[in-house]
Amino acid sequence: MKKIYTGYTYSSLLKFAGWVLFILLLNLNKANAQTPSDAIMMKQKQSCVALIFDYGTWDQYWEGTELRSNATIATFKRYTYMPMIAIGLHDRLNLIVMTPYVETKSTQPNGGKFEGAKGFQDLSLSLKGEFLKKKVGEDLLELFTTIGFSTPMSNYLSDYRPYSIGSGTNEWSFRGIGQYKMQNGLYFRGTVSYLLRGTTEAERDYYYNNGSYYTSTMDVPSAWNYHAGIGIRLFDNSLRMEVLYEGLRSTSGDDIRAYNAPQPTNKVNFDQIGANAQYYFKNIKGLGLLVNYGQIFNGRNIGKTTSFSGGVTYIFSI
Amino acid sequence: MKSNVYKYILLLVVGFITFSCEDELPTKLDYSSYTYSDMDENGGNWNQVLLSGPEQITIDVPEDVSSQAYQAELAELKSIANNLDQSQQEVVAYWTNNPVVRWNEIALELIAKYNLIPGPNPDGTYTLPNPANPEGPPPFPFAHPPYASRALAYMSVAQFDGLITTWHYKFTFNRPMPSDVDNSIQSAYTGNSIPSYPADGATIAAASRDILSAMFPLEKEYLAQKAEEHMSSLMWAGINVESDILAGEYIGEEVAKIALDRARNDGMSKAQCPKPVSDSIKNAAFERYGWKWENLEIPTRPVGLTPLFGKVQMWNVPNVEVVRPPVPPAPGSAEYNENVDELIHFKNNMTNEWRRIANFWQDGLGTYTPPGHWNRIANEFIIKYQLNPLRSARVFAYMNMAIMDGGISCWDAKYHYHYPRPIQNIKGFTTIAGTPNFPSYTSGHSVFSASAAEVLSYIFPQEGNLFRNWAIEAAESRIYGGIHWRFDADVGTEQGINVANYTINVAKTDGAD
Repeated sequence: MKKIYTGYTYSSLLKFAGWVLFILLLNLNKANAQTPSDAIMMKQKQSCVALIFDYGTWDQYWEGTELRSNATIATFKRYTYMPMIAIGLHDRLNLIVMTPYVETKSTQPNGGKFEGAKGFQDLSLSLKGEFLKKKVGEDLLELFTTIGFSTPMSNYLSDYRPYSIGSGTNEWSFRGIGQYKMQNGLYFRGTVSYLLRGTTEAERDYYYNNGSYYTSTMDVPSAWNYHAGIGIRLFDNSLRMEVLYEGLRSTSGDDIRAYNAPQPTNKVNFDQIGANAQYYFKNIKGLGLLVNYGQIFNGRNIGKTTSFSGGVTYIFSI
Repeated sequence: MKSNVYKYILLLVVGFITFSCEDELPTKLDYSSYTYSDMDENGGNWNQVLLSGPEQITIDVPEDVSSQAYQAELAELKSIANNLDQSQQEVVAYWTNNPVVRWNEIALELIAKYNLIPGPNPDGTYTLPNPANPEGPPPFPFAHPPYASRALAYMSVAQFDGLITTWHYKFTFNRPMPSDVDNSIQSAYTGNSIPSYPADGATIAAASRDILSAMFPLEKEYLAQKAEEHMSSLMWAGINVESDILAGEYIGEEVAKIALDRARNDGMSKAQCPKPVSDSIKNAAFERYGWKWENLEIPTRPVGLTPLFGKVQMWNVPNVEVVRPPVPPAPGSAEYNENVDELIHFKNNMTNEWRRIANFWQDGLGTYTPPGHWNRIANEFIIKYQLNPLRSARVFAYMNMAIMDGGISCWDAKYHYHYPRPIQNIKGFTTIAGTPNFPSYTSGHSVFSASAAEVLSYIFPQEGNLFRNWAIEAAESRIYGGIHWRFDADVGTEQGINVANYTINVAKTDGAD
């Protein structure tokens, strides 16, 4: 499973080296391996780089479906630095590359005295294609599809939760995106994606997952991921604001056991609400800012995370 | 252009689906029936651990194979064994002709299932697991390493003594296997022909079931179902008739009773002492040595783990004081300071290899514990060397007695010296392994591992270097993990070897070598 992508993606992607610009705005909850889920496509002969900083924190988590606190961990903090480049390969095809760096730790005092973790997380490559753009009266209906792949960039330990910086697995994502843009600037967007995840390697060769496993290989559950957003474009498209729901449902996995550490095999679900905004400066050509807020309000085997992010984007022609 | 894109995407999807079928992850040791390297026909004469002799448990003289009663049993066996459905065949393949390994795996799984430390109540207090109310919360038991070592020792000793008695009667009565009486019956297992009365599989099943049911009372039903499946499989496999199984089961039940009588009175029920006792132990150490270990969890646990496990009755060491290690270096001494520097060095320069070792041997909460890890290793070598069930039980009995004795000696040192952990003495120190709820000196991993490795090296001398190096790696893993001083590990390793030698000396004269 880990070997199959090498033959196709990298070389075939490079074939489409026509440069178009694309900007991605996303909720940076990268520990759940989000990939581009918005409905923005850029035009040819443009490119964009972005640097986004995300801060996530929780002091309660769901052990199975039971919300609890744990003074062993106290308050958990995660910092993500996300460099990103979006390359338009064609008016209707974009390539997005992300290389997040993640750092985790607990606040002091805590009862566990655990060392946090840091490092480059997963290299993520996504191809986004627009396959329908249709006028509905004065409005516009667009449909997109994204296929994404991510793989660990460093040998971080996935089996060190909650501090591990990622799931340590290859992930394919298959995403459908639909957006309805009204002439008055309002838009509605929904996405459905399937996150097909492989396995991760622990550094122990025995673990319990509703029974004994005599291997260091852990199955990371695949998941369905949903987004639904309502937004508006203002000031001649220079400001965009959006409220967003995101859901994640793992298709398998075990629950965290009583007062025990989580592990990569866990069934992780969440519901999150969020809001985000993006602003392009009119007098500084190509420069943009984005901010994002997210709050998980329901979950399973995950922290009740509040997250804030902000970033700078720069669009340029090639 | 556009159509090309979708062609590639389609290719990716098809390619992915084609390659995404994964092999099943292993949930048990992969082996099938084999020819035993030796039958140990004289195994019935070996010294037993708890029984004074094999005939302390008596069984009836079996009916002759020419008798009507036996022929009726044989006819029943024939109709059963020749008409197995798919699931029965799978059960037969699972249990194999060395079910000692399977029962050990069942024990390890229960240990991992119950190795969960009780969390605090909302008011900051802790509730201890209570054998009088096993459902809890928290459920009974908390299968921590001392508990695990004890459960494994009793199970293995009962299996071993039971199988010696079984072997004794097998080669006294010499009832042939069904396949040797009637050649239209085929044993499902390859390998040796062994007298079938009493059934060794049934002895193992019953002894294991009864010991584990006492150790894991909430699993009584599950264990009964496992034992029933196992005993049924003996007929499905065509290797035992019903009277073989009943006699084997009886021996297993009787030997389990004798083992559990010892267990009831070995002192374990008092090991988790109340706070006043715990405090007096701590103060005694402080007055004697000038230091004391403190639990740093939030909220603080009022009592460490099993302060009186060091008082539990040992198997082969005359008394715990004879193996008590010397006084550890005092905080502030030169050796102590070197140990501090080393820990800080590991923390600040953590390599992939140190991290891997720390995690590989961690065997922490939610796992089968270090004693379980060494049982898993023993399982692998038992299969590698194709030992028969009696020989296998001997490996486990001596190894697990040594591991438990090692644990008792280690806990004696832990609460006698009450030495602080690195996180207590080094300001701002953090670890990549969880710091356990008991004093530092000596390291449990080191003692358990050295004891186990020493017995395994006695049994498989050609693998001795391997086992001893693993034990040293397991000991050092705790330093990389940041939760032990080097002297905890080094002295613990020596202590484990010392303790194991008492057991090995017993083993050397039991008649098996």
